[in-house]
Amino acid sequence: MSANIASYPDPGTERRPWLPRWLASESPIPWLLPAAALMIVFGIYPLIYAITLSLYKKNAATRKMVFDPTHNWVKILGDDRVWNAIYNTFFYTGVALVFQLTLGMLIALLLDSDRKGYGVLRAMMTLPLVIPPAVTGMMFLLMLNGSFGVLSRGIIALGLLPTGFSILGTADTAMAGVLTAEIWQWTPFMVLIMLAGLRSLPKEPFEAAAIDGATAVQAFFKLTLPMMSKVIAIAVLIRGIDLFRAFDYVKVMTDSGPGTATETLTSYAGRIYFGNADFPYASTVALLTLIIVIVVSSTFMKLFRVKL
Amino acid sequence: MESSRRLQILRDVVAVTVVGIFMFPIFWWALTSIKPISAVFDKDRVNFFDFVPTFINYGVTLFGQSRSQLAIDQGLGMGVGGESAYDSRQSIMESVIISLGTTVITMAIAVLAAYAISRMMFRGRNGYLNWVLGQRFMPPIAILVPLVTIYKTVGLRDTDNLYAGYFGLMMIYALMNLPIAVLLMKSFLDDVPKDVDEAAMIDGATRFQTFRKIVLPMVKGGIAASAVLVFIFSWTEFLLSLFLTTEIRTVPVKIQTFVTSTGNEWGFIAALGTAAIIPSFIFILLVQKNLVRGLTLGSLKE
Repeated sequence: MSANIASYPDPGTERRPWLPRWLASESPIPWLLPAAALMIVFGIYPLIYAITLSLYKKNAATRKMVFDPTHNWVKILGDDRVWNAIYNTFFYTGVALVFQLTLGMLIALLLDSDRKGYGVLRAMMTLPLVIPPAVTGMMFLLMLNGSFGVLSRGIIALGLLPTGFSILGTADTAMAGVLTAEIWQWTPFMVLIMLAGLRSLPKEPFEAAAIDGATAVQAFFKLTLPMMSKVIAIAVLIRGIDLFRAFDYVKVMTDSGPGTATETLTSYAGRIYFGNADFPYASTVALLTLIIVIVVSSTFMKLFRVKL
Repeated sequence: MESSRRLQILRDVVAVTVVGIFMFPIFWWALTSIKPISAVFDKDRVNFFDFVPTFINYGVTLFGQSRSQLAIDQGLGMGVGGESAYDSRQSIMESVIISLGTTVITMAIAVLAAYAISRMMFRGRNGYLNWVLGQRFMPPIAILVPLVTIYKTVGLRDTDNLYAGYFGLMMIYALMNLPIAVLLMKSFLDDVPKDVDEAAMIDGATRFQTFRKIVLPMVKGGIAASAVLVFIFSWTEFLLSLFLTTEIRTVPVKIQTFVTSTGNEWGFIAALGTAAIIPSFIFILLVQKNLVRGLTLGSLKE
């Protein structure tokens, strides 16, 4: 063995003497550098820029930027639309998570079978996942149209809403409409992950429980759920991060309206940006979104001991 | 026995119904794309099949047919303006270029980083991994506003230079896809025993030769799965492309332009929408096996 090593030159340094030592040796730097460069130039630098921007005050009339580090952050505290957006974002995230988790688990249990045809059903369930969310938004915009939308007409036919009622055009129901699209598209995500979790469960505890006379419901709550807790936590974390940046459906279906009924943090920042071109303030709202995500997700990860 | 059989049939029926409900929007969308305008806007009833199928919506959006042809065909006296505005071939081309470019850039960068993280022991390894993972947590809006300004300053907007615009959008897509690509590739590389590398290097191969000739071929499947996911995420992205580019209109952004002040062109929207979905569907069925792993950034395996 040792003779074998000795018979070859050190692969890194001697075979390619023209290469600089740090490139030829065992250094991880050349491997890590491209990704690091991408993250610094297009991630860190804009982030620092955003923080700097948030410390400036833009004069609406003269379009001049003046250094005023507290202006935007104080403005946020007094801005009702920010609070409304925070509320909407949390509401959107919370409701979607509850629905997606519950439906996801139920459908996973339903589809977790080795019978013929279930494989096809499981594959079909993954299809909504890959539709561009902006297209999903359009789909539901069409189906929820008050006068000819198939979904709206179904609900109206059931007598739940008055004729011609516009779900997306009414402040009280617009959020529910947007959430329908969100829940439809991403419940399959939960189904998929829950199925993977269910399939990895050991068989023995369930056999033992069945011998002891436990019902299926008891086995689910006492065995399945606790054993799946890690999987569920990971699913909630990943989905939660994405839910918190909610934008596509809102932009496409209601454009944050009516009024500010469906305005999320991301769409509000976008509106400030497009509307009054107040870059510093748009940046501040965007940074606030980032801060909330960091605080909430790290708390969640600590609390539930999740690691990705 | 009889009752358990019945229960099984009940389960089958429920399973098919539930999946059917989830498939309905896609079915309705595809159906809308072949409906004439009168059937789309049918206010008297929900029109399922009572119409003569037409492919004019695809003709106009994908094959450059004139919109006035549609007006003539369907006997409508509607305005024939916006002739070429609905021709989406350019947008599809742009989306393909952006998605493919992003996939190549992301995978090239990610595989290298993943290999080092998986194979080498170095100080700050965990820190680096967390840095990559941290990108996944960052809402894109946080860097979007400054990015527009930065792109304007350095001339990376598509209005300054079309190629620069492509490059700018691809790089930011690459950044957004980097965490999933790196973590997924790390998970696939971790499955290959390190002995393989050591054996090759004892035989005199350099690190890079080992990586390229020995390890890469062993994770081909993983690379394909990761690449497909990156492609899909780039194909479906909306926010960044909406903000960052004006000349380049990726398909999700292009569709939004069919929403006009005089009414939504539902036929065109559905046709282009259906066309945009199809590549994703084909791709996703190819990576079924690794889908869970991909969506959970390598932390869960099926």
